[in-house]
Amino acid sequence: MMDAFTNLATGFAAAGSLQNIGFALIGCMLGTLIGVLPGIGPIPTIAMLLPLTFGLDPLSSLIMLAGIYYGAQYGGSTTSILVNMPGEASSVVTCMDGYQMARQGRAGAALAVAALGSFFAGCVGTVFIAAFGPPLAGFAQQFNSPDYFSLMALGLLMAVVMAQGSIVNAIGMVLAGLLFGLVGTDANSGVARYTFGVSELWDGVDFLPMVIGMFGIVEIIRNLEEKELDRTSIKTRFRDLWPSWSDFKEAWKPVIRGTGLGSILGILPGGGAVLASFASYTMEKKIADDPSRFGKGAIEGVAGPEAANNAAAQTSFIPLLTLGLPSNPIMALMMGAMVIQGMQPGSAVMTSRPELFWGMVASMWIGNLMLVIINLPMVGLWVKLLSVPYRLLYPAILLFCVIGVYGLNSNWVMMAMTTVFAIFGYVLVRVGCEPAPMILGFLLGPIMEENLRRSLVLSRGDPMIFIQRPISATLLGLCVLLILITVLPSIRKSRDAAFAGGS
Amino acid sequence: MVRVKSPQNLGAAVIFIGLALIGLIFGRDLAFGSTAKMGPGFFPTILSLLVLGIGLLNVAMAFTITGEPIEKPHWRPITFICAAMMVFGFAVHYIGLAFSAALLTFLAAGARKDTRWGETVFLALFLAIFSVLLFVYGLGQSMPAWWGA
Repeated sequence: MMDAFTNLATGFAAAGSLQNIGFALIGCMLGTLIGVLPGIGPIPTIAMLLPLTFGLDPLSSLIMLAGIYYGAQYGGSTTSILVNMPGEASSVVTCMDGYQMARQGRAGAALAVAALGSFFAGCVGTVFIAAFGPPLAGFAQQFNSPDYFSLMALGLLMAVVMAQGSIVNAIGMVLAGLLFGLVGTDANSGVARYTFGVSELWDGVDFLPMVIGMFGIVEIIRNLEEKELDRTSIKTRFRDLWPSWSDFKEAWKPVIRGTGLGSILGILPGGGAVLASFASYTMEKKIADDPSRFGKGAIEGVAGPEAANNAAAQTSFIPLLTLGLPSNPIMALMMGAMVIQGMQPGSAVMTSRPELFWGMVASMWIGNLMLVIINLPMVGLWVKLLSVPYRLLYPAILLFCVIGVYGLNSNWVMMAMTTVFAIFGYVLVRVGCEPAPMILGFLLGPIMEENLRRSLVLSRGDPMIFIQRPISATLLGLCVLLILITVLPSIRKSRDAAFAGGS
Repeated sequence: MVRVKSPQNLGAAVIFIGLALIGLIFGRDLAFGSTAKMGPGFFPTILSLLVLGIGLLNVAMAFTITGEPIEKPHWRPITFICAAMMVFGFAVHYIGLAFSAALLTFLAAGARKDTRWGETVFLALFLAIFSVLLFVYGLGQSMPAWWGA
């Protein structure tokens, strides 16, 4: 435990430089700025802002990116509370009681409880990472190729089970992503695969055109298809912001419960903010003395889920940073950014570049602090932003997306790729395939192939190696268990119910 | 007569089967190798077959379970947004960011039926100036601000 604190001290030394604090602040601001826009969730927000972080050194860019993520998430909560318009699934829960509180004139209390609850959860989440990261990374060092392969399989499977919509199509998207990940020169044989004579594809499909096209641009088009929605927000003033003492008394227990639940659910592959906030809401409702208050402005219904989703947002970094396994699409975006920075996330980062790992952990705490600082006093500003009509916003958002893509590689081919992915993503949405799981597969494709190859070389072609090694066998056993659970009808029903409550 | 009960599943089937076929057809020249010595075609072939399986499963679902219809696409936003991106991609090298940004704004504005063109002129002007200041002079992105520069 003492180790954790010395490590954190190293991290704070690295992340606490004026420059890095500045980037954390800018990241949170930009994330909030885009995140408060209704209908734009964290995935498109991060995709759109990703290019801004490329010019920075690795630590600063990760710090800024993490800031963008927290900002986007918190911005979504603000929108949910004030205009009842969730940008993404995890904010749906906040809408239910947060908006009702706002209508009763308690918008300030809801916003403050969300911010302070998130901050508390963020602090705990940071400690969680510091405590559990190193042992898990140590454990991961015993992993061999077969174990990694099985781990990735389990991770992808869990992500699929937790994904919204059809499980079959989610599996399909992951597989398609794996296939897309193989485009380019095969590292082993040097043969070009699926490049169709386009030299830009020799290094593989570029991450940025893909995510900006499939998430950013598709989001713009989808929003344009809908009628201009009524986005009148509930007025709030700064002096109304502080929750009353009784609000505090009602909120602190849900915050602690939500934090605990979120921290645990965040670590699970496939888990993350969405699952955590749904789970916390369900739990609060179950243990409440009077469950009928929920949906009518119960402060527990804001405090618990907000804490839970923030805790999960923190701890979902654990599998990525220690095992190299992105547990949800947002972590896949983070992983993509790390790869672009020349890092391969995994246990090696912690041992070979401790200042990077611990700096990032420390920056998470700093980022959470920034959120409180910029959100409580500046909430009025964000609300103003909501009143800017979409017809003025989308050309600007589109412009930033294309400049981002073009700035990466001054080449119209990149733009063509972005367009192709935008159309592809749009078609996918139309036929009921949520494209998000694809980026998980995309990033893991080459890694899985390499681990599969090494495993089979090790066993001289005998696939039994995957069940002969205890770690791999356990992981595959979990896969089978998961499949069984998923096809069992009762659990499917409750999963559908959980999502039905949100959509 | 067989009836499509779930059009969305049929659509998904078309996409997955299409992807799988692309994977198989364009991957046919890649050496498959053996399990002990995987060739570059090994993993792609397996993945393509799995994707094909998902596609066929979707075909089966399309005719058995009742599902959602495919919403008609709105051509206007897609066309104009994609056109705006492509035109920007070609133009920025020749006429610089300022004019390309304005051009993009006008094309993007066409995505809506009820565009107020007067307002769009101001928006284009603002975005052109703002993006040049921020990206070219502020962040030092490698793109020309004006033509020939």
